[in-house]
Amino acid sequence: MKKYILFFFSTLLFQNLSAQDALPLKGDEIFGSMRARHIGPALMSGRVVELEGHPTNAKILYAGAGGGGVWKTNDGGVTYNPIFEKHNQSIGAIAIDPKNPDQVIWVGTGEVWTRNSVTVGDGIYKSTDGGQNWTNMGLPNSERISSIKINPNNTNEVFVGVLGALWGNSADRGVYKTTNGGKTWEKIFYVNEFTGCSDVTMDPKNPSVLYASFWEFRRTAYSFNSGGVNSALYKSADGGKTWNKIHNGFPSGKLGRIAVAIAPSNPNILYSVIESEKDTDKGLYRSDDAGATWKRTNGDFELVVRPFYFSRIVVDPKDPNIICKASLNGSISKDGGKTFRSIGGGFHSDVHDFWFDINNSNQIFGCDDGGVYRTLDGGNVWEKAKCIPVSQFYQVAVDNQSPFKVYGGLQDNGSWVGPSSKPGGIENRDWVSVGQGDGFRVFPHPKNPSIVYSEMQGAEYIWRVNIEKNQAKTIKPFPEANDPKFRFNWNTPITTSVHNADRLYCGSQFLHKSDDMGETWVKISPDLTTNDPTKQQQENSGGLSADNSGAENHCTIFAVNESPLDEKIIWVGTDDGNVQVTFDGGKNWNNVTANIPNLPKNTWAYFIEPSNFDKNTAYAVFDGHTQNDFKPYVYKTTDGGKTWKSIVTADLKSYVRNIKEDFKNPNLLFLGTEGGLYVTIDGGQNWSQFKNNMPPVAVHWIAHQREEDALVLATHGRGVIIVDDISPLRQLTKETIGKDLQFFDRKPTVMRENSGFGGYAAMGEFVGENPTSLAQIVYFLKSRHTFGKMSVEVFDQKGTKVADLPASKSKGINILEWNYRLVPPKVAKGKTIVRGGFTGPTVPAGTYKVKITKASKVYETDLVLKADPKSIHTDEDRKVQNEVAMKLYNMNEELGYVVDQIDNLMPTLTDISTKLTTSKLKKQFPVEAMTKEMTALKETLVVLKGDNYVGTAEPQLREKISGLYGEVADYAGRPSNAQLANLKVLTDKLNAAKSKVDAWKNQLSALAPAMAKAQLPEVKSVRSFEEFKASDM
Amino acid sequence: MKKFSQILLLTVLSLVTNLTFAQTADDVINKYFEATGGRAKWAALKDVKATGKLKVPSQGLELPMVMLQKSPNKQKMTMTFQGKEIVQPSFDGNEGWNTNFMTMKPEKMEAEDSEIMKQDTDFPDAFWNFKEKGFSITLEGEESIEGVACHKIKLTKKPVKVDGKEEENFSYYFFDKENSVPVMFRSVGKKGQMKGIAIESFLSDYQEVNGVFLPFTINQKMNGKVMASVVIEKIETNVNVDDKVFAFPQN
Repeated sequence: MKKYILFFFSTLLFQNLSAQDALPLKGDEIFGSMRARHIGPALMSGRVVELEGHPTNAKILYAGAGGGGVWKTNDGGVTYNPIFEKHNQSIGAIAIDPKNPDQVIWVGTGEVWTRNSVTVGDGIYKSTDGGQNWTNMGLPNSERISSIKINPNNTNEVFVGVLGALWGNSADRGVYKTTNGGKTWEKIFYVNEFTGCSDVTMDPKNPSVLYASFWEFRRTAYSFNSGGVNSALYKSADGGKTWNKIHNGFPSGKLGRIAVAIAPSNPNILYSVIESEKDTDKGLYRSDDAGATWKRTNGDFELVVRPFYFSRIVVDPKDPNIICKASLNGSISKDGGKTFRSIGGGFHSDVHDFWFDINNSNQIFGCDDGGVYRTLDGGNVWEKAKCIPVSQFYQVAVDNQSPFKVYGGLQDNGSWVGPSSKPGGIENRDWVSVGQGDGFRVFPHPKNPSIVYSEMQGAEYIWRVNIEKNQAKTIKPFPEANDPKFRFNWNTPITTSVHNADRLYCGSQFLHKSDDMGETWVKISPDLTTNDPTKQQQENSGGLSADNSGAENHCTIFAVNESPLDEKIIWVGTDDGNVQVTFDGGKNWNNVTANIPNLPKNTWAYFIEPSNFDKNTAYAVFDGHTQNDFKPYVYKTTDGGKTWKSIVTADLKSYVRNIKEDFKNPNLLFLGTEGGLYVTIDGGQNWSQFKNNMPPVAVHWIAHQREEDALVLATHGRGVIIVDDISPLRQLTKETIGKDLQFFDRKPTVMRENSGFGGYAAMGEFVGENPTSLAQIVYFLKSRHTFGKMSVEVFDQKGTKVADLPASKSKGINILEWNYRLVPPKVAKGKTIVRGGFTGPTVPAGTYKVKITKASKVYETDLVLKADPKSIHTDEDRKVQNEVAMKLYNMNEELGYVVDQIDNLMPTLTDISTKLTTSKLKKQFPVEAMTKEMTALKETLVVLKGDNYVGTAEPQLREKISGLYGEVADYAGRPSNAQLANLKVLTDKLNAAKSKVDAWKNQLSALAPAMAKAQLPEVKSVRSFEEFKASDM
Repeated sequence: MKKFSQILLLTVLSLVTNLTFAQTADDVINKYFEATGGRAKWAALKDVKATGKLKVPSQGLELPMVMLQKSPNKQKMTMTFQGKEIVQPSFDGNEGWNTNFMTMKPEKMEAEDSEIMKQDTDFPDAFWNFKEKGFSITLEGEESIEGVACHKIKLTKKPVKVDGKEEENFSYYFFDKENSVPVMFRSVGKKGQMKGIAIESFLSDYQEVNGVFLPFTINQKMNGKVMASVVIEKIETNVNVDDKVFAFPQN
């Protein structure tokens, strides 16, 4: 019993301790209406790997990106929209059902151009509603789907080529077939665990005839092999039941990657591009007898270059002798493959696929490492689609400017700086190039906004760029006399310091430090890697085609971070699995790798995040995918690396590349995974995927802009994605989430001032979304509000209601925006519409009361508006502006009331006029003259003819007051003297009009008894100003 | 102005038709009609007049509006702006029209758009007698909407012609599993730049009107961003709206 009591208390104690923090909310229960915004850019776009058109509608084309999902154009390539937002963003193959081309689309995930940075798919998807919804139809371990071929006679019969695993063996490779539209799959052809199906093609006239190429290949973190005795091309003439090698005329010996294509207009003609042992027999082969015999026709550079990356031939659907070959620069043959020319200008390099327009073979679409292109002249000149932001960032950094700038490097597309906000939206033209080649890590100098550090692959160059003066100095460290050769990772770590603005770190196998912006370097570590010589044989890498690009450089430092609390503490992670830390600025290093529990040996130490709160605390993430291990590894140490605890839960589904600790709440962590962004609000006890306008794209890096509290994500496929203002996540506690409604504290809203100019992107150009400039009211709802009224009102300090907002009602965090303006004035009714009727005056800075009424309960909070500290206006200027704007606001309405009174009086007076039959009566009641005067006056008050465009009439008082009001209300500062003088003129005119109306009213009151006596219709008193204001008309 | 009228058009096109709203494959739909007053009450609805405001918070716009709907497929949305009535749009069962913002005069929709409206306008509800109307519904699993577990129903109407080509006409409705009312419907842009773009209308503030529960607030979002809200203050039923008000004005 005693034992039990002890046990009871110990469990109670344990539960108390852990229960204090655990916040088991998940997904949209937390995030509610928080959302990410995408800023691209699409200027350079990114790797697009697959194109597939609609079989009968030439305006529709689908483009699959290496890491950025599926994009569809409905207009022949002017605009593209993403249609695969909730699913794996790495695309292998796309196919359209020929019988139901508007409805049924297949997407096989997992890019097949197996470069070092390629990611992993998760099976095959099908949409039956034109891409609105997708269902995963299986093949979950296929990793890379190379082909999808649909039997045109029976579209439930689909053949799928699975290339499969890149980093390990897999029995999931081969050719699969379904006969029931994807419900079940049968593996109909398999070679072995290391040879995958790289291409399947189908005879369009006889769907029983299939060709399939198989490729033996393997990548490790430090090598690549293409080719072996198992690579081969096969044919089946019986719908995939039996397969035979068709190598008559092929090179002997080991083969590498083989592409195969069939001429749609003559299925006897086949093309195959072959990687082989000897240079003399590599290249293009052609068969004119459906694969029975082959002849080599061409071995030019573009036909043989990098088969693992470029292995696609596309044949003109109308002419069997016109073929396009994807390659470094792309080439085209018009004579059946005998000779080739380059595909011409306008294309980025590294071409992956083509698509011929079904009606016009001079219109060809192509894709490459820089997006999607279109030619109208048969492949001479190409224009780029400017709206596909599938850029693949490796890293992102931010600065402290306002608006802050974003820095980062891209796969094959250099290094860039762009704004996080821009009037009219962030356009392609707003990005500035700060590096060539492949870009990786880019950092601003912490204090000098004109200095940027950037690099290209393998630290071939590290630059210090002066963006103001347009200078770039190369500053990489060189080995000293007794140093071994430096080994730099493809994605070489460089980083700056919060302690010393001129400091820069750079990692080879050693850690290098410079305190003078890269002019001089000091080696502050020994070789921190395992220095395993067997992993340093890159000159032998590539297999049948040598491929020593630097992409397989290994035994290098990959992660470097200085503690924000102590510059002597530096954490280093290496690609071969070491975690090293120094506590004395590099004099002594501790290899703490062995202290990390349950971490497979040599798992890539991808990122280490020293804590913002405690010197001995750090987070480390490891990426095992290059060892064919896709598990997440996230650890925390609180004792300087002596012990580590995993903070992985079952919520995490893929491998991890980056972690960011909030700088205010140590329990708030952000995780960049291969499958998207994850957030924990309880120190890693529960993780939730952030899905609001955030696809499950690989997040390679996370930066936190502290002033704005913006989380800035380097995605490897969808450009830069920003979650503005993560501060509500800090305020989620057990207590707040238990309440029906809980307001969150907000920083005062800075009232942004701008000219309203900006934004000139053409149709078809991507425009990145801006952060909101509106005030936000943020609250947490325990459950969604569905039944009964829920209102949100804002009051000023006098208790006057200034806004009535449509409530946000989601479970979780709700963000409601207010433009801190009053509703526009009620202007006079005229023939046309006026600017002032669109413009509400900005309310003054100050504290406002927000009141939410939900059912019978009332919740209140304060909302503070603050003038922009960077404003050119003084408080006094603003005061004058507000007074004048409000005066004009009221004048709009007063004039509206003047016109309303005339409009109300006129019908009766006109009626009376007709009843004044004698000259005596006319003299006694001068109503006719009055109506004439009224009409004349009204004509000077409002425009009563013309339209809102070029048929416009001369402006009258309404147009003038409204125009001046619009000018004053839309400028935050003091009105000009001219405007103030004009105000006086308009005020006098308005007063004169008011006086006239009052005089008529008085005159009519005086006449009323006599009129009644004369049995004339009664002139009823007009409605009040308040009634006029409250009315819709 | 152009932007504003685009938003307006968007809002109205996908929203007016669904002022009264629908729910599962047969079970879900039956439950929906039961939970919102019962089929008898729904059957008694001949027309509806909703008065409220169209709000575009990002632009500070707040326009008084009146939405009229009449059996079987007439509708009209009228907004008041600077003392003028702007119709966006009206549909008399055959022909649709809008007020031109430049001239403030009515202009007919392209004939093809009127044909689309014919398909898209249902009273009292898209799911009311859907079988007789030739529509089909399927239950497509569950989805969480604003933190609410929902049944997902695909509603497929008769095909419509878009740019001369026949296309499937479908939308998705999300019915709260617990209380059976739809909390969101997702329609898809059919033409031009909006083609293929999902527009989500979130329904809330359900209140009883003569025995039928109707949503008084519709927040319309694209990519999670609020584009416009319709906040209804009053709904009147069976007010005997004259057919003439829906027709294209002759003068």
